[in-house]
Amino acid sequence: MSLERKDDHDHGGWMKSRDLSPVEKGYLTVLIWLDRRLRIVDYLELMEDLYYKANLQMPKSHTEQYNLDNKFWYWYPLYALGSFSTLAYVVAAISGALLGFYYSPSTAAAGAEGELTVAYASITFIMTELNFGYLLRSLHRWSAQVMVAAVFLHMLRVYFTGAYKEPRELNWILGIVLISLTMVFGYTGYLLPWDQLAFWAGQIGVEMSLSIPLAGEWVAQLIFGGFSLSQSTLQRMYILHVFFLPFITTALIAIHIGIVWMQGIAEPH
Amino acid sequence: MAPSDETDEEVRADGTGIVPPDDETPTWGERKTRSQGLSRLTYEYFERSRREDQDMRMESSYVERDVLGFPTWPHEMIRNLAITSFFVGMMIFLSATLPPHIGPPANPSQTPAVILPDWYLYWSFGLLKLGPLNPDLAILGGSKLMADRTYGVLANVVIVGFIAIVPFLNKGSARRPVEQPFWAAVGVFGVVFSFTIAALSVKNLIPMDPNLLFDLTFLVPPVAGFIAYAVLRTMREGYMFELNRRYYRLRPPK
Ligand code: HEM
Repeated sequence: MSLERKDDHDHGGWMKSRDLSPVEKGYLTVLIWLDRRLRIVDYLELMEDLYYKANLQMPKSHTEQYNLDNKFWYWYPLYALGSFSTLAYVVAAISGALLGFYYSPSTAAAGAEGELTVAYASITFIMTELNFGYLLRSLHRWSAQVMVAAVFLHMLRVYFTGAYKEPRELNWILGIVLISLTMVFGYTGYLLPWDQLAFWAGQIGVEMSLSIPLAGEWVAQLIFGGFSLSQSTLQRMYILHVFFLPFITTALIAIHIGIVWMQGIAEPH
Repeated sequence: MAPSDETDEEVRADGTGIVPPDDETPTWGERKTRSQGLSRLTYEYFERSRREDQDMRMESSYVERDVLGFPTWPHEMIRNLAITSFFVGMMIFLSATLPPHIGPPANPSQTPAVILPDWYLYWSFGLLKLGPLNPDLAILGGSKLMADRTYGVLANVVIVGFIAIVPFLNKGSARRPVEQPFWAAVGVFGVVFSFTIAALSVKNLIPMDPNLLFDLTFLVPPVAGFIAYAVLRTMREGYMFELNRRYYRLRPPK
C-alpha cells in the first residue's frame, strides 16, 4: 500500500481537461501546491467575507440618493492627504534603508586629528563621495518633511470635515499616536548626523525629559542614555529611529488604514 | 460522543467527522445556553446585535439612515493611485534640486546662538517658553509652583490631550465647516495658534519687540477664530437654503 496521499478530487485531471495557457497552468499549480499545505482557501474566504460585509453595509450616500448636484465638493482632493502620508512614509523607508548601508552611529573620533566623529564623517562621505549619495540623503530628508506636512494637513482635513465623529473616534486617537510617532521619528533622525544642530537639539531633549515630574531622570536615562549627550545617546536614537519606530509606526498605519477600509470614508454631505 | 453511538458507527480513520457539518454548527443562541460568565455575556450580545442588524434590514428606512461612509475601494483608492507617481516624482524633483547641507560638527563646548529643532516641532518648542504665564503663589513667597520647564512640558500634554478628546466633545455625523461654524472656528483658532506659538519659539529671529510678540501670540488666534465664525455663519444661511430647497424638491414632505 502506498503511503502517498491520493488526489481525491483529481485536481490534476481537472487541470488537464481545461485548455489552459502556460500562465494559467503555472498559476494554478502554485495555488494548489500552496493551498494543500497552508489552506489558503480558508483565509481567502475569510477576507472575501470581510470585504463584502464591509462594503455591502454602506448605504447609498446622501448625495447619490437624492441626486444632489453638489456631488463634487472642492475640498475632496484633500482626501488624498492620508495616502500621500503613506506614500512619503514608504519613500522615506526605502531611502532610509539604503542610507543605513553607509551610516554608522558612532561618536568615536574619525581619523587622526580627533576632530570629527564617525557619524559625522559618514554623513560627509554620503554627501560628497558616494555616487548619488547626496540624492539619497536628500530624498530621505525631503520625504520625511513631506510626510510630516502631509500628516498635519491630513489631520486638519479630518478635523474640518468632522470625520472624527462616531464611529471614527478610535481612528482619531490612533492618528494622534501616529502624528506623535512621526514627530519622534523626525526628532531622532535629526540627531543622527551629530552636527551642531543635532547636538543642541539633543541637549534640549535631555533637559525636557529631566523636567518631567517624578519620572524625569528615569526617562532621560532610558531614552538618552544619561544626563549628558554621549555615545549611548546617539546609539539609542539610532535604534529608535531604525528599529523600534519603523515597526510600531508601520503596524499602526496598517491598522489605521484597515479601520478606514472597514468603516468607509466619512461623507459630509 | 456517548459510548452507545460508537457501536453502530464504523470507526473512521480518515479524519472526516471531526468537524461538525455546517448545518450542525451551533447558533449564537445555542452557544449562549451552553456557556457562562463572560463568554455567555459575549454570546448574548452577539445574538442581540444580529437581531438588531436583521431588524434594520427589514425596516424600509434602512437605506435612508444617516450615511456612515462611502467605500474606500474604489472611490478613494482609484484617485489616490492615479496621483501616486505624480507625488513620488514631486519628492524626487524636490530632493534633486534642493539637497540638504551639512552643518558644522557637534561641539559640546560651544553653544550656538540659535538652537532650533525641525520646523514641525516649533509649536512644541514655543510651548516651552510660556514662563511668564506660569502662575506663582503668594503663599510660597512668590516662588512658582512648577519649574518653567515642567510647565512647558505640561502645556504640551494639555494641548495633545485636548485634541485627543475632541470626538467626545463634538458628536453627531460628519459635517462641512459651513454647517458647523463653531467647531470650524475652534479649528481656525488652533491652526493660527500653532503658527503664532511657532513664531514665538523663534523670537530671536523675528524683528519685533518680544513682549509685543508674546501678546500677539495669544491675541491673534481668537480674533482669527472669531472672523472665521462670522464668515461661516453668514455663508451657512445661503448654503442651507440651497440644500433644503433641492432636498425638498426631490422629496416633498409628506
Ligand atoms: C502616519 C500618519 C497617518 C497616515 C499614514 C494616515 C493615513 C490615512 C489614510 C490613508 C486615510 C484614508 C482617508 C484619507 O486618505 O484621507 C486616513 C483616514 C483617517 N485618518 Fe489618518 N493617517 C495618519 C495620521 C492621522 C492623524 C494624525 C489623524 C488625526 C489625529 C488621523 C485620523 C484619521 C481619521 C479619523 C480618518 C478617517 C477619515 C474618514 O473616514 O473620512 N490620521 N488616514
